[in-house]
Amino acid sequence: MAEQGHEGGIAGHLHYWTFKIDESNPFMQIHLDTMLISIVVAGAMLAFALWLKGKLVDGAPSGAQNFMESVVGFVEDTVSDNFPVHNPLIAPLAFTIFIFIALVNTIDVLPVFLIGNIAHLFGVHHFRPVPTNDLNLPAAMAISVFVLVLYYEFKLKPLHFCKELLFEPFTNLVPVYLKPFVMPINLILKLVEEIAKPLSLSFRLFGNMFAGEVIFLLISFLLLSGGPVGMISGFFVGLGWSIFHLFIGLLQAFIFMILTVVYLSIAHQPVEH
Amino acid sequence: MSIDLTFIGQIIVFLALVYLMKKHLFGPMSELMEARSKKIAEGLAAADAGLDAKARAEAEIAEQLKDARSKAAEIVASAERRAAEIGEEAVNRSRTEAEGIVDAAREEVHAELGRARQALRNEVADIALIAAERVIESELDAKRHAALIDGIVSSGFGHA
Repeated sequence: MAEQGHEGGIAGHLHYWTFKIDESNPFMQIHLDTMLISIVVAGAMLAFALWLKGKLVDGAPSGAQNFMESVVGFVEDTVSDNFPVHNPLIAPLAFTIFIFIALVNTIDVLPVFLIGNIAHLFGVHHFRPVPTNDLNLPAAMAISVFVLVLYYEFKLKPLHFCKELLFEPFTNLVPVYLKPFVMPINLILKLVEEIAKPLSLSFRLFGNMFAGEVIFLLISFLLLSGGPVGMISGFFVGLGWSIFHLFIGLLQAFIFMILTVVYLSIAHQPVEH
Repeated sequence: MSIDLTFIGQIIVFLALVYLMKKHLFGPMSELMEARSKKIAEGLAAADAGLDAKARAEAEIAEQLKDARSKAAEIVASAERRAAEIGEEAVNRSRTEAEGIVDAAREEVHAELGRARQALRNEVADIALIAAERVIESELDAKRHAALIDGIVSSGFGHA
């Protein structure tokens, strides 16, 4: 197991707990902190699901069931408002995205050094507790959604999708003899448009959460190194930012979910002639 | 910030989580909520149907009451008419019977009168015969004849 060396300041806290399989290949490494926390959160969600499944009642719900039913109802309403057809996969996918991202984002409001210091007790020098601050998680989810979008595009309207890639919007506007020249340009632009979807999806979440963590680190350094005034002001600024960041985390979870539903909805839209 | 094997691991975790959440949380809860919504909708529909049935029954009852009242009024009117007819028939019958009784009495009076006259005639005849016998037997003058006959007649009519 290889660890990155110690560095001072904010940069020193932005290293992952990394396991390198091949030192020469940067792809051949695993961020153990990201994997660990995401598996723990996923495991907690599964444990909660199994616990709640055994306690579900047909009649008037209460407590956890009541809360989860309101979340399920909200997600189902969001999906049914945006979807032209019924697809039994979409609502559970949107639900999982929303809950999972909201939960991992919420970890960010814990004191910024808390989990890192606990990890230090176990000999781990670098620990990033929020998996969405690692591009790998937002990218993995965005790519999964993108692959699903492509799957439905090719499954439901393969000819239309290929035609769109090659002809819309520019190729159709030029005379026939120019079409072979415009077609590659059209294709490149359409590919950029399509690839921008998962990129924007992942970078939006990652950027927001990463920036939030950096601001937490800045506030913590103000709190720790600014004397009594810095400590007092840092405490209140940190509290305010925690509340705001909690809202940002929920908002980002909602945005990721709603964009997933919208992209998949576009893929399910019937072809207009 | 780099893409590495964590990316593959996160895809596996994410897809597994979607599958498990669908199977153990979202699926059962969604089915439960759908069943409950269906049950509530059925209950509301049944309540609406019950209200409709109640309204129909009330309308039917009102209609039947109206018919019954109408029939009762007809029966009462018919009974009143029948009672009036029966009364009239009784009066007519009584009147006829009374007239019959009066006629019978009158006939009887006539018959009795006839019989009395006849008896009187017979008696007068008998008296006349008696008077004639006496006239013949006693040879009386005209004055005595007349006085005798008058005496006989007056004494005879006095008995009649």
